[in-house]
Amino acid sequence: MRDLLSLQGLSIQTSSDKRSLTADVNISLVEGEALGIVGESGSGKTLTALSILGLLPRGVEVVSGEINFNGENLLSLEPERLREIRGKEISMVYQDPMTALNPVMTVGNQLLEVLDYHNHEVKNPESHVRESLIEVGIPDPERALKSYPHEFSGGMRQRAVIAMSLLLSPKLLIADEPTTALDVTIQRQILSLVSKQRSRRQMSMLWITHDLGVVANLVDRVAVMYAGRIVEVGTTKQIFNSPQHPYTQGLLASLPVASSRSRSRLASIPGVPPKPWLVGQSCSFADRCQFVQIRCRESLPLLDAQGSKSVACFYPIASST
Amino acid sequence: MTLVIDNVFKKYPIRQSKTVVNALNGISLNISKGQTLGIVGESGCGKSTLARLIVGLESPTQGAITWRDNVLLRGSKNQWRNHLSPAQLVFQDPYSSLNPRQRIGECIREVISAHNLRKKEEIDSRVTELLKVVGISEDMKNRYPHQLSGGQRQRVSIARALAAEPELIILDEPVSALDVSVRADVMNLLVDLRKEFGLTYLFISHDLSMVRHISDVIAVMYLGRVVELGTWDEVLDNPQHPYTKALIAAIPDHSQVGQMDLTVSLEGEVPSPTNIPLGCAFHVRCPIAVPNCSKMIPQLLPIKSSQSVACSEVVK
Amino acid sequence: MKREKNWVNYYLQSTSGIVGAVLVLIMITLSLISAFGLAPHDPLEQNPMDALQGPNGTYWFGTDQFGRDIFSRSIDGMRRSLSVALLSVGLATLFGVTLGVVGGYLGRWIDNIVVRTSDVIFAFPAILLALAIVNSLGNSWIDTSVAIAIVYTPIFIRVARGPVLSVKEMDYIKSARVLGYSSPRILGRHIMPNVFAPIVVQVALSLSWAILTESGLSFLGLGTQPPDASLGLMVSEAQALAAFAWWSLAFPSIFITIVVIGLNLVGDGLRDALDPARRSTS
Ligand SMILES: Nc1ncnc2c1ncn2[C@@H]1O[C@H](COP(=O)(O)OP(=O)(O)O)[C@@H](O)[C@H]1O
Ligand SMILES: Nc1ncnc2c1ncn2[C@@H]1O[C@H](COP(=O)(O)OP(=O)(O)O)[C@@H](O)[C@H]1O
Ligand SMILES: [Mg+2]
Ligand SMILES: [Mg+2]
Repeated sequence: MRDLLSLQGLSIQTSSDKRSLTADVNISLVEGEALGIVGESGSGKTLTALSILGLLPRGVEVVSGEINFNGENLLSLEPERLREIRGKEISMVYQDPMTALNPVMTVGNQLLEVLDYHNHEVKNPESHVRESLIEVGIPDPERALKSYPHEFSGGMRQRAVIAMSLLLSPKLLIADEPTTALDVTIQRQILSLVSKQRSRRQMSMLWITHDLGVVANLVDRVAVMYAGRIVEVGTTKQIFNSPQHPYTQGLLASLPVASSRSRSRLASIPGVPPKPWLVGQSCSFADRCQFVQIRCRESLPLLDAQGSKSVACFYPIASST
Repeated sequence: MTLVIDNVFKKYPIRQSKTVVNALNGISLNISKGQTLGIVGESGCGKSTLARLIVGLESPTQGAITWRDNVLLRGSKNQWRNHLSPAQLVFQDPYSSLNPRQRIGECIREVISAHNLRKKEEIDSRVTELLKVVGISEDMKNRYPHQLSGGQRQRVSIARALAAEPELIILDEPVSALDVSVRADVMNLLVDLRKEFGLTYLFISHDLSMVRHISDVIAVMYLGRVVELGTWDEVLDNPQHPYTKALIAAIPDHSQVGQMDLTVSLEGEVPSPTNIPLGCAFHVRCPIAVPNCSKMIPQLLPIKSSQSVACSEVVK
Repeated sequence: MKREKNWVNYYLQSTSGIVGAVLVLIMITLSLISAFGLAPHDPLEQNPMDALQGPNGTYWFGTDQFGRDIFSRSIDGMRRSLSVALLSVGLATLFGVTLGVVGGYLGRWIDNIVVRTSDVIFAFPAILLALAIVNSLGNSWIDTSVAIAIVYTPIFIRVARGPVLSVKEMDYIKSARVLGYSSPRILGRHIMPNVFAPIVVQVALSLSWAILTESGLSFLGLGTQPPDASLGLMVSEAQALAAFAWWSLAFPSIFITIVVIGLNLVGDGLRDALDPARRSTS
């Protein structure tokens, strides 16, 4: 199957002082696949997602690399064509649903505007919009259409945003920590809704989160990001059952296991993640790694493709399986 | 020493809309010395409100919070104003819990000197000792909070609480704002301190896996009341209240790849605390509700010696 | 560990801050020269023979229609403007900050009174209110200062009260209360240091507004009275002459502009320099 989306060597810097924020990010996604990007805050997940849609904030820019979507390089597209792709072929859901909705416009009008803006041919836009709200589990869609975003709870707002992002049946849904602000029971509802819609629509998904529990149960493949770089990629099973990068392994070991009966001491990773622009030509995890060798401080380990699994480490942990 | 929370209510009147937020609705709990009580519940269920009441920042609308045994008993109104509260608080947000213009050594020293907890000449070594205990080296004493990482700030907050030599330390979501790789460190520190000094904790979190990791006893809260109470393994392995069951089922578990059953365990959302359903507050979402549930508020009743549930369908 | 710089060092790294400070210092020096009677000419002395001369070796900024030296009058006007600005902003800071901090910290009815009163004062346009007060007080520079102080007090109430309200809600203040610290200690050691910076910045900015207000009052014929010099009054008097004696309007205007810009640059520089987080990241 061919790649729907691939980022190749994508590097993002601040425009003014050329600080490197992400470096050499490679990820790819085949049609229908769900890829999770996990990483701690500041590791560059949001910037990577925003760069795909050409929505990087002012002051940061892509300095090298390619973003290919469905055969087109998004970085060199006409703004016109890029706007067409946004929303219609790629849509995005953000962490804070309040900023994704216009506070002074009813939810119904915002949904209709999406159809209108993209000249979407539907016979009866109103009923199309109503159905989309029912699909995402909003009870009483009639009333919801006439409501303003502030009249919704956080969970309902996120549902409305998801309805909006699914309205034009995109090929790819990018979700940036969409459930981080929600309670677990509401998160579960949203996860269930998203996975149902995804399989129904055969949609691809890029799911960004710092919550390892969520990706373990939602996506097919996982990319682990650390200090602006992808340090490990693999299928969800590979990453969680036999992590090879010491960071991935440390991260997993540091989490208390909700279902286990014992309460052993948590493994911890000393120190804090470095600023990506201060790493230079060495492994960004070297200072915190318990297996560090001289080589790790002298050169930069790159993602090394071995089948579907790849790890940016000179001394990967031998897989247990 | 035992802290007794007896049928406490807290209502916040909202002037503009002429409504009342019922943050706590008759909550009763005991915490005894050396014990760690974990409180878990979704946002808005009243966890932080309870913490503020215990430390005396606010007073209950109704009910009493009292210390038994060798701790002074005081009236409820502003009980600890200008006195060192026997319960100290560690907040969630490491960025607002330390004075940005106070060096961290000074922050600890002030607690000791304001209440003359040590002789003048012993204060310096006490500050160093407290910082060391939480894993902050002495040479960082003169730093300002913004020169520390989130995890280090949380350590300083813990040291500040320890400096007051409290009977009880309330930890209100102490690791929720920290990065995943830093959480384990702070959790381990809390466990170590408890062992070393025999501390008593009230550990509050919305994250059941953290509560499970540290608590002896767990209380599950829903809309300002305790719906289930028991030892940590009872509550997690053998949950009885339908809400506890749903909460546990909803936690995404990283140790079981792809095993999570994504079908929804609990429909709907938590009702607004301005308009709490009559009877059992959970009955509108409850899978096992019967008509009677909307008539009477179920009391927390024991099903075993150590486990209690507030559900009239479970305790019959 | 990188030693953090103190705020003076940090301030001195900013070019605009230095430019601002230099401009303000020049104006202060000129005012002092005038105050000690060291001006090249007597600012009040009329020399009808020398009326309306352009700038030259004797009269650096030229003369007005009465033959008075515009340079000497300008620096005397600057002295007057700065004195009024300092006194009025000093008074406004003293009262405004005290009321704002007390109201914001204590809340309840005290805060209500403070806020209502300052709202009433705010409801009037500044210059109109100052006009009315000057009218009823008198025209001495102290009267003018008191008038401007009354007009600016609500600004300082707001400037102090806003940060107090937000700082009061911070967890470190809650923590201070749980630690049983007394109110004076909480105010003095935990609240004031965190509202100090916006107040200092406001002082610098208000000085420049006060200079403009004083000029405005004098321009309108209140405030400083002829024959005394004031920058506003000089601009007012020069209006009719400007067409054929540009210097009579230009130099006092340039003085006002320089001191206002200088104070604004100083205010901006202080804002950055007094923020400890900003100091250590650069
Ligand atoms: N507009 C911006 N200007 C400068 N730096 C930025 C900007 N946005 C983000 N950054 C920096 O880029 C890094 C990555 O940020 P982000 O992608 O938001 O991380 P994540 O989403 O993984 O938490 C961080 O160090 C952040 O401080
Ligand atoms: N000062 C206050 N005024 C009005 N409502 C409040 C106040 N403090 C808390 N609440 C409300 O009380 C409820 C309980 O809040 P809180 O104790 O913070 O919950 P939790 O800590 O469990 O998330 C929430 O609905 C919250 O909005
Ligand atoms: Mg992000
Ligand atoms: Mg809370």
